[in-house]
Amino acid sequence: MAMMPKRVKHRKSQRGRIKGNASRGNRVVFGDFGLQALQGGWIKAQTIEAGRIAAQQYVRGEGRLYVRLFPHKSVTSTPLETRMGKGKGEPDFWAAVVKPGTVLYELGGVTEEQARVCFARLAHKMPIQVRLVRRRSA
Amino acid sequence: MSDNDVLNVAIREGRGSGAARKLRASGQTPAVLYGHGEESVSLSVGAADLTSFVRRGQKLAKLAGAVSESALVRELQWDAMGNDILHVDFTRVNVGEMVETTVSVELRGEAPGVRVGGVVQHSLHEITIRCPVQNIPEKIVVSVGGLELGQSLTLAELELPEGGELVGDGGTIVVQCVEAAAEVDEEASVADGAEPEVIGRKESDGEEEA
Repeated sequence: MAMMPKRVKHRKSQRGRIKGNASRGNRVVFGDFGLQALQGGWIKAQTIEAGRIAAQQYVRGEGRLYVRLFPHKSVTSTPLETRMGKGKGEPDFWAAVVKPGTVLYELGGVTEEQARVCFARLAHKMPIQVRLVRRRSA
Repeated sequence: MSDNDVLNVAIREGRGSGAARKLRASGQTPAVLYGHGEESVSLSVGAADLTSFVRRGQKLAKLAGAVSESALVRELQWDAMGNDILHVDFTRVNVGEMVETTVSVELRGEAPGVRVGGVVQHSLHEITIRCPVQNIPEKIVVSVGGLELGQSLTLAELELPEGGELVGDGGTIVVQCVEAAAEVDEEASVADGAEPEVIGRKESDGEEEA
C-alpha cells in the first residue's frame, strides 16, 4: 500500500515550482550507496512503493534498504468531461517533491556490484534520471 | 610525508562569490588557512590535486608555494550534487600536536551470523578521535569475521591509532549482527481512497463544506 501522511494541515496544496538543487537530503547518510536524483519532479507514492518492492526483492535477506523520500504533497485532479470552474478538484494522489541531488533510496550491507544491480532495477521505476552515489568518507 | 601530501597553494586576492566562481572556472578551489593565533590567509589550491587528495582519505597536507606549513583539512564544502569541492578550510598544525578529527569506519570480512539469517547493521560510519596529527588514519578498519548473530562491536573495542583516544561514549554500538526483520507492511491498514486526518477540523465542519 502506498504511503501517505497520517495527519495534514490542509487537504489540498498549491502546485508550486521546483527551483534549484537539493541543499539537504543530498548525501548518503544511512547506508553505503545511494540513488541520487539528477532531475527534479514529483514522485508518486505508488512509484516510491514500486521502487521499494523492486529493490527489496533483490536485497531480501542481505543488506538493508532505506527509503529517503516521503509523499507529503497532495495532488488534485478534476474528473474527465467536467466543465470549467466549480473550484479546485479533489485529492487524487500523494507525491514527493524531488529536487536534483536528492538521495531517494540508500542501501547498506551489500557490495557495490549488488548495489549497482539493485539500483538498476529500481531506476526503471523512477520517472526521472538517477545515478548511484557512494558514501563520502569523513 | 610523501609527495602525495604536498598541495601547491597560491595567495587569493579576490573576495566574494563572484571572484570565487571565476577561480573555480579556472580550475582552482578557494581555500583558507587559519589557526595557532596567527592571521588567516586566503588561498587557492588546484582543484584536481585537492580532489585526489581528499578521495584518498587524507587529512594532513604539506602546503607549498605561497605558504609552506603543515595543515589539517578542517572542513570541506561540496556542491549540491556532491561532485566538486567548493571550498576548503585548512588549520595550522605542528607535528606531534593532538588534534580532534573524524575518521570513517570500514567493515571487513563476512560475519558468521549472516549465514544463520542475520544482517550486519553498520550504525556508526564515522567516529571522532583525538590523536597526534601525524598518526591520523585514512580509515579505521573493523573486522566483522567473528560477529555472531546477536553480537555487537562498540566504540571501545575499536583499534585506534598510536597515541589516539576516543571522543564520546565507548559503549556506542558501531556494528551489530541482528536478525533480519520480517517485512512489515506498515500501511496495510490504510484503505484505498482513504484521506488523512485534517488538523483542527471537526467532522461537522467537513459536512458543512460538502
